[in-house]
Amino acid sequence: MTRRLFNQCLCLIFFLSFETNATEYFITLKAHLFYPSQITIPANKKVKLIIENQDNTPEEFDSFDLNREKVLYPHRKSIIYIGPLSEGRYEFFGEFSPNTAQGVVIVTNAEVVNANN
Amino acid sequence: MLITSLVMSLNQLLPVAILLVLLQVYSSQRSTQIIIALILGTAMSFLYMQSAAWVSQWFDHQGLEYTQIGLCIVCFIAVLIFTIKKASTAFYVAICTSMVLYLSNYVIYLTSFWQNSDAGQSLFIGTLLGAGICLSFSVLLYFLMIALTQRFGMLSLLVLLALNSAAKLLVALDLANQIDLITNTITVWDLRDLLSENSELGRVLRALIGYEATPDRISVIIYGLSSVLFLLFCYFIPSSKAKERV
Repeated sequence: MTRRLFNQCLCLIFFLSFETNATEYFITLKAHLFYPSQITIPANKKVKLIIENQDNTPEEFDSFDLNREKVLYPHRKSIIYIGPLSEGRYEFFGEFSPNTAQGVVIVTNAEVVNANN
Repeated sequence: MLITSLVMSLNQLLPVAILLVLLQVYSSQRSTQIIIALILGTAMSFLYMQSAAWVSQWFDHQGLEYTQIGLCIVCFIAVLIFTIKKASTAFYVAICTSMVLYLSNYVIYLTSFWQNSDAGQSLFIGTLLGAGICLSFSVLLYFLMIALTQRFGMLSLLVLLALNSAAKLLVALDLANQIDLITNTITVWDLRDLLSENSELGRVLRALIGYEATPDRISVIIYGLSSVLFLLFCYFIPSSKAKERV
């Protein structure tokens, strides 16, 4: 316990990451909607979300549950790492179009998880 | 669009307004200094917004996060220096970095949607309403803090300043997690059912003391440590200076 804490503090101090190869999940933003709007990822693993904004206006990926916030510039890809997370539902939304741009990350312990279109 | 503008303006203006009030209660600045800080901060937010698309391409498309992490750390240090030395330069730096950090996103939103012919009015009214609510909240917080400092001394204000500044480091941590600079640790607690960050109170607490419903262990450690260190610096450095003078 103490050693793990020490490692985490050391990692933080030297700005090193424990894990570099994370599974990639692709999300597209089109007409202020996320596709897919629901992705299922494994519990306790870091994953890489690659979000492409195909709209002509910027959007801000925002999630209180995931503690993430990033501006998605038009016609560009953005990368956001999430996790490791415990099982549950983690909602995200586009802050500039919160009524339409909505999605959810389902974290599960199941062995096989795929993006749900 | 009206509601989105209102919520957006509240989210982005409130942290800046709260910091301004806390610093003003701690050591009153002249109105000209406040106006200069606000004008400088607005100008820097526009400059940052103009270069944001370019900056975002730095460091393998992670430039924005790196610059924002830097802004968070500079803001924390500036508030600490202001609290210890009451230096005007630190006040300017704290307000300007905070404005760039929070307002630039709202400037991006405004400039992007302003071109829509039917959106201009909603954006304007939403922003005006948001600014009005922020102003009302700031006035209430100002008098509340004055009353608290008169009743309980400066410690209550210092604790709030320490928590508010530590919240900037939480933002930096989240950004570092976001670009895989550090790794998330397990979630310490989950208070989403009790008090969601998306609720009105959750948003206010987030702006005031950096409330997070689902913090990870590193966040809790850094938040606690930086708050305690902030208070220790404020307590020991001025007293050691006083001893030197004697």
